[in-house]
Amino acid sequence: MIKTLEQLLEGVVGGILTQLNRLLPPLIVAVFLFAVFVLLAVLVRWILTKAVKGARMDRFLKDMGLSNMLVDQGDVHTTPMVAGAAYWLILIIGALIGLSLFNTQLTSRMVESAVFMLPKIVTAGLILLAGAWLAQFLSRSVLVWTHNEDLPGPRRWAAATKVMVMFVAVVAATEILGFAPHVFFAAFVILGSGLVLAASLAIGLGGRDAIRRYLDSRAAEKHAEEDEKSLWNHL
Amino acid sequence: MAVIQNIKQIQSMPAEARAAVDEIRRADIVVGIPSYNNSKSIGHVVQAAHAGLAKYFPRHNGIIINSDGGSKDGTPEVVTRTPIQDAQLLMLSTPMKPVHRLSFPYHGIPGKGSAFRMIFQMASLLDARACVVVDSDLRSITPEWFDLLIRPVLDGGFDFVAPYYHRHKYDGTITNSIVYPLTRCLYGQRLRQPIGGDFGMSQALLNRYLERDDWETDVARFGIDIWMTTIAVAEGFKVCQSFLGAKLHDAKDPGADLSAMLQQVTSSVFMLMREYENTWRSRTGSEPAALFGFRYDVGLDPINVNLDRMLSAFRKGAEDLGEVWKLALRPDTLAAIMALAKSARAPAFHLDDELWVKIIYELACTARGSRLERTTLLKSIAPLYLGRVASFVVESADMGAAQVEQRIEKLCLTFEDLKPYLIGIWFGEPANPPATPRTPAPAAELPEQLEV
Repeated sequence: MIKTLEQLLEGVVGGILTQLNRLLPPLIVAVFLFAVFVLLAVLVRWILTKAVKGARMDRFLKDMGLSNMLVDQGDVHTTPMVAGAAYWLILIIGALIGLSLFNTQLTSRMVESAVFMLPKIVTAGLILLAGAWLAQFLSRSVLVWTHNEDLPGPRRWAAATKVMVMFVAVVAATEILGFAPHVFFAAFVILGSGLVLAASLAIGLGGRDAIRRYLDSRAAEKHAEEDEKSLWNHL
Repeated sequence: MAVIQNIKQIQSMPAEARAAVDEIRRADIVVGIPSYNNSKSIGHVVQAAHAGLAKYFPRHNGIIINSDGGSKDGTPEVVTRTPIQDAQLLMLSTPMKPVHRLSFPYHGIPGKGSAFRMIFQMASLLDARACVVVDSDLRSITPEWFDLLIRPVLDGGFDFVAPYYHRHKYDGTITNSIVYPLTRCLYGQRLRQPIGGDFGMSQALLNRYLERDDWETDVARFGIDIWMTTIAVAEGFKVCQSFLGAKLHDAKDPGADLSAMLQQVTSSVFMLMREYENTWRSRTGSEPAALFGFRYDVGLDPINVNLDRMLSAFRKGAEDLGEVWKLALRPDTLAAIMALAKSARAPAFHLDDELWVKIIYELACTARGSRLERTTLLKSIAPLYLGRVASFVVESADMGAAQVEQRIEKLCLTFEDLKPYLIGIWFGEPANPPATPRTPAPAAELPEQLEV
């Protein structure tokens, strides 16, 4: 009985030792390599933070209105962002190289997937970023325009614009990633069709009255504006 | 260089204008009148210009050029066919040189700036010693205006003559609340009507305008006036003012809306702030500009104001546009506006000077940065401006002209006192605490500025 148990334990321990013998060297090398990459990442981040001013890039982001998208007041500093991105990129590369050292089927597949997906993830991220910028820019333009034109509910118009543009960006991003593309595309088509149908019904059923009320109120306001007109015309 | 510049100017001018320049060859004085559907009023302006040239400059070659934006009401025909009877009109006996009258449609972006550009190009090619531009809708213009706008250039060595008018207290509110105080504070010259629209210029300044490459911006529209004034004061040209009496004019294009006008004017101001940042950074205080002309009191057109509508626009703006204002205004400034909007009711409404100055400075800083969002931002500021005008209307309800002028002077001093704040947020430097607020001297103690 004891002998059988010993044999079993020996088998298990042997298996573990075999696995350790096989995996420990690459694990040690991987940990060492990852530590080197961590140091490298910290070093690169420090160098970028200290050496690169990034003032031109800051100004470019501000000129393009991208700063305002990221921070309300638009005081974005590019250098820490670039340094942070470089830091994480180096860490990811270190982790992938470390994983590839194990040379198992699982790790190979993980590394392959990551390398294969990375460009797609970056592209999808850029699409989402561009979509967010465009959505914000267009929604603000719509907000100001509808307000200046005295249309009802400027904020609702702006919110609808933002949602629509972001939805298009999400559909495009999922298409790139291959993540349930048909579901998102179908949702987009259904939503778009629904909106058109709702708008048609709204205009058909209530539009005439609403437009009549709107025109009546405009006519009344115009009469009141006549007296005030002179103020607008004297800069 | 001058040859290249001339070639560029000739290329961008309409063919008929080029032909006229070739035929006339030279002129001493060019009077420019931009127009668009001004057939009812432009005849009077042309008559005044013709009489002014005949009476005050009989020995100079003068040309009146109408730069038209494609009027449908026969404005160019009125310009060329308005009868002039100088001898009877002015009781002249001395012979005088003939005054040419020309009218051409300008090319490019429709707007006052594009109209001026063609006039300047023609004046430059004709080697004119002085050029004067006047609005085509003026009802109070007289021949004396041309003497007052041209003589400082021809005989006084000035490069830029700005107008100085008597205006109703509610007239010129963009001038009084934004453009005059800001320009004065930035560049240190007290030109009271920087966007008056009626200016005299020397040949040197004219050529400087034509050298520039920003004609296709808001300068092509209502931004032209402040652009001309700012370049003159920022680049050290010799500037002065001439007292022209009252400014009475027809209503401008009814299709043009307030927010577009405000946007074009402020866009030009802020664009030039960026260009001349090193100039205004080093200038402190302000000094009066020389003032020519005999000053007298005049009757003025009444201006009707609907205070409730302005306050309602301010409240609605705060309700709708906070998201856009947030891009430009600091949190404490925005919070102050929002708090004010909540209780914006007629008799007690007050948007104080310091808050208003901070709003303008913070808008300027943001408009300098975000090129794409500048238009959106500047189109959103009409409610803020209306709030400020409403506050001024409440405050000045019982004020006379002298008191109103003192009130504007107080605002100007606040702009000047808070200039360190502007420098701080513009250049990212720590701002020095503003000096103790100054109060303007009482009207009776203001120095007499008349020189003629």
